[in-house]
Amino acid sequence: MNDRGPSIELIDVHKSYEEGERTHEVLTGTSVSIRAGERVAILGPSGSGKSTLLNLISGIDLPDSGTIRVGGTDLGALTERDRTLFRRDHIGFVFQFFNLLPTLTVLENLLLPLELTGSTNGRADDRARELLAAVELEARAGAFPDRLSGGEQQRIAIARALVHEPDLLLADEPTGNLDQDTGTRVVEALEALVAAQGTTMIVVTHSRELAGRMDRILELDHGRLREG
Amino acid sequence: MRLLTKASLRYLTHHRLQLLLSVLGVALGVAVVLSIDLAIQSAQTGFRISAETVSGRTTHVLVSDLGSVDERLLNTVRIDLDITASAPVVEGFATSSVLPGRALRILGIDPFSEGPFRPYVAGGSTGLDVSELMTTRTGVVLPASLAEEGGVSVGDSLPMVVEGEAWSVPLVAIIEPADELARAGLADVALMDVAGAQEVLRMVGRLSRIDLRISDDEAGSAELEAIAGALPDGVGIESVGTRSETMSGMIGAFDVNLTALSLLALIFGMFLIYNAVTFSVVQRREILGRLRALGVTRDEIVRLILTEALWIGIVGALLGTLVGIFLARGLVGMVTRTINDLYFSVSVQGIDLRPFLFAKACVLGVGATLLAALPPALEAAGANPRMAALRSVVEGRARVLVPRAALVGSILCAVGIGVLSIPTRNLVVSFTGLFFIITGLALITPAGTLVLVAAVRPLLGRVWGTLGLMAARGVGASLSRTAPAIAALVVAVSVTVGLGVMIQSFRGTLVQWLDGTLRADVYVSLPGPTASRAAGTMWPEVIEDFVGHPEVSGYSTYRGMDLVRDGEAFRLVALELDPRGEGAFDFLEGSSSDIMARFRAGEGVIASEPYVFRRGLERGDSVTLSTASGDRALRIIGVFYDYGSEQGTVMMSRSLYDRLFDDPGVTSLGLFLEEGADSERVVGDLLALVPPGRAVIARTNDTLRSASLEVFDRTFQVTAVLRLLAFVVAFVGVLSALAALQLERARELGLLRASGMTPGQLARLVVTQTGLIGLAAGVLAVPMGIALSIVMIFVVNKRSFGWTLNMEVGPEVLLQAVGLALVGAILAGVYPAWKMSRTSPALALRGE
Repeated sequence: MNDRGPSIELIDVHKSYEEGERTHEVLTGTSVSIRAGERVAILGPSGSGKSTLLNLISGIDLPDSGTIRVGGTDLGALTERDRTLFRRDHIGFVFQFFNLLPTLTVLENLLLPLELTGSTNGRADDRARELLAAVELEARAGAFPDRLSGGEQQRIAIARALVHEPDLLLADEPTGNLDQDTGTRVVEALEALVAAQGTTMIVVTHSRELAGRMDRILELDHGRLREG
Repeated sequence: MRLLTKASLRYLTHHRLQLLLSVLGVALGVAVVLSIDLAIQSAQTGFRISAETVSGRTTHVLVSDLGSVDERLLNTVRIDLDITASAPVVEGFATSSVLPGRALRILGIDPFSEGPFRPYVAGGSTGLDVSELMTTRTGVVLPASLAEEGGVSVGDSLPMVVEGEAWSVPLVAIIEPADELARAGLADVALMDVAGAQEVLRMVGRLSRIDLRISDDEAGSAELEAIAGALPDGVGIESVGTRSETMSGMIGAFDVNLTALSLLALIFGMFLIYNAVTFSVVQRREILGRLRALGVTRDEIVRLILTEALWIGIVGALLGTLVGIFLARGLVGMVTRTINDLYFSVSVQGIDLRPFLFAKACVLGVGATLLAALPPALEAAGANPRMAALRSVVEGRARVLVPRAALVGSILCAVGIGVLSIPTRNLVVSFTGLFFIITGLALITPAGTLVLVAAVRPLLGRVWGTLGLMAARGVGASLSRTAPAIAALVVAVSVTVGLGVMIQSFRGTLVQWLDGTLRADVYVSLPGPTASRAAGTMWPEVIEDFVGHPEVSGYSTYRGMDLVRDGEAFRLVALELDPRGEGAFDFLEGSSSDIMARFRAGEGVIASEPYVFRRGLERGDSVTLSTASGDRALRIIGVFYDYGSEQGTVMMSRSLYDRLFDDPGVTSLGLFLEEGADSERVVGDLLALVPPGRAVIARTNDTLRSASLEVFDRTFQVTAVLRLLAFVVAFVGVLSALAALQLERARELGLLRASGMTPGQLARLVVTQTGLIGLAAGVLAVPMGIALSIVMIFVVNKRSFGWTLNMEVGPEVLLQAVGLALVGAILAGVYPAWKMSRTSPALALRGE
């Protein structure tokens, strides 16, 4: 990906969903540009299309029209497989509901993105443990996710999202399922890691407080983004 | 180990019951296919080894269409044609009281001619002293295994009954061939000198065949040409391979039908796998979505699911082979008995564990598993990572798919009907058509279920209120999970109905046919090696005594011979009919009285439905038979329904037979008694008339009828076992799918418990829902089963055996089907209901 240039560009992006017999227009010509290393919060009411926007930026979903470039790569020009590989190499994801894999231990959850990108040597293990230490959960390396608290699970999810040093971190309501104290600890862990790696970060949230900690706030309103 | 593989393995081991049931599905499918293959193969091998051992190094045989050749032909071959590698053979069957349940194959040979043919006779490793065999009248040589089984040793007398005549033959030697193959081949053989065999088989002056050893070169071809030119009418030269093929070809349709049934079990197994894999995908939809979001490609997801299926397939197939061998041990007896009852005598020494059959069953098992896992694997990979987590989206899509599936199902049914309409006797085509129809029906079932559930919903609401409505709505609301289970249950039950109706119809037709055919009051024949085919000829003096019984008012005589012409076996029958027996025939077309009048006048022959069907003939065509005066073409003046022989029967009047053949023999008698006579007592009188040392079987009409139905029931024993196994496979599948579905709803059910629902109410909700699914499946299975039975009766059976069956749909088969589906489904709900009632709602509500 380009260094310090515009990391993400959305140009006149439209997206709608069929809901029964009616069409729900989620994005109606959204355009935005985010620089590399920038930390951006996206605010908006429920159903305004915040998660859709993240899915489009990650290549999980495609827009009906418009262009999305991530690190100069036009996602619309990639095949589904190439978009997946692009996501694997360049993007980290943090979800509201932790989304750890229940049949893998904490350490294995962290190793998975590294294995997917082909780093399976001893350095991968060191890297995973380094991230576990950073989120202060090294002692839980061998535990399965169902043995962890919500806050612990989310910190693991953050470590997993950053373990393969992605250029872009996408976080969908990372504190939405946590109490305030735990949420704060999670956000601090997130900020520390992102800052250490210089990762571009987009956080979708309802929380004004969390949004206030970012470099920039965008509000999604009636299908369009505007500076908050 | 890769982490994805590790995650997948852990998932499987965390869901042990699901894994076990999947493995069981493959194992049962593979076991059924393998066991049927092994049973058929073992019977074929038994026949082949026996035929090869008896034939030895024979390359060609001189045989007559009429069953035996004049022994003077041997001189022609040896002296006139100078073919020294020729040997006379007399063959027949006997029974012995010391070897109960066994048919002894009498092999009469000339030890001096045996050099080039059967090494076990010509000395060598067996150590047989032929001089004893030749110098002892009716002396017999037994293989060591038979002698041991019968508890007889050299010098003892062996009691034998040959075509109703009791003999006590001296055992002059015991042989034990060094090689295992020869030992197996001789396992049921009683070796005699040709003269002794002629005597006991009442074939003096006749030979069953003359064995030849002709070289495979120009000189050999010249010899064959010379022999062919010197043969009298009715005698032909056949290569040993052709003869053997004709015999084993007789069980071709039987073989295909059993194989098809066994494949059906595998298809049910596939449903089970499909259910299990679909369920595992549905259950992991969120996890798979997370993996996709993390950058796992679609290919990798497909590989992941298919690898799981592969391991299930491999373990299931290996387990299935073990169960298959066990099952085969039981089935081989049933298959052999059916072949003995209906086709020819065969002795099976053991299971022929041929590696190819294991490989085939394993490949089929693993292949079926992968095939069944492919749709859910593709579904898993095709799921958009965002949408994957949304249950409502999945169910929404399932609901959209229901009418489409019904449409595709209807199209498949139409294609199946189209395939079945192809005018061919090829059974693979027929079963392919049937497979299309079954798959089509399976696809229609979810739509049918929704319609049925919608129909009973108001009633459930009125009876059980909200709970009833919830149960009904639950079926439709979780369609992505319930649809495969319902489809599997419906198909399994409908196939059970189809097979049940087919067997019932077959039996009904047979009963009707027996009622019409068995007109005489008492039937007399000679005891033979098999249950259903009378053999040998009765003694004229005994016939005279029997028909002279004061209470016998009339009689019919029957002379039957199993013949082979143009490589096809059939039975030729000469009938002298009492007028009361003439109405026994039911003709496909034409006036019965006209046909019988022409029959009596010897204007032609009547042929059975399978005979004309197999040969593509019809009334008015000709049948060519080898007679004493050469080939004779005889017109078919009528075609009659006959369920006694799959190979077909040609019948002619005794007067015509006497004109064409020099054979006064009578195989069996039908006696008509005076009005009011007691058949049982007459049978007793008749048996008392039989001179000592001779035996006949005299049976009343009722006894013969029961014996015939017993053979029928025995024949369908294998089908019944397969039907049961197929149902067990499907039942296990449904049980697992529905139970897993309910267990997976733990969170939802926990919510209901937390909202105040009592364990009892919860149990009622769960069991009502699974019961509703079972009821819907049972009700849908009935018309589908009847549709399948129509195809099986009027297409598959007709093409396999040439029989026209009257369809009979008894209520018990239908009620049994609905009952089984209902019970299976209710049972599937019991465990989850019990488990949920013992689980704290708080635990159930706790997420991952």
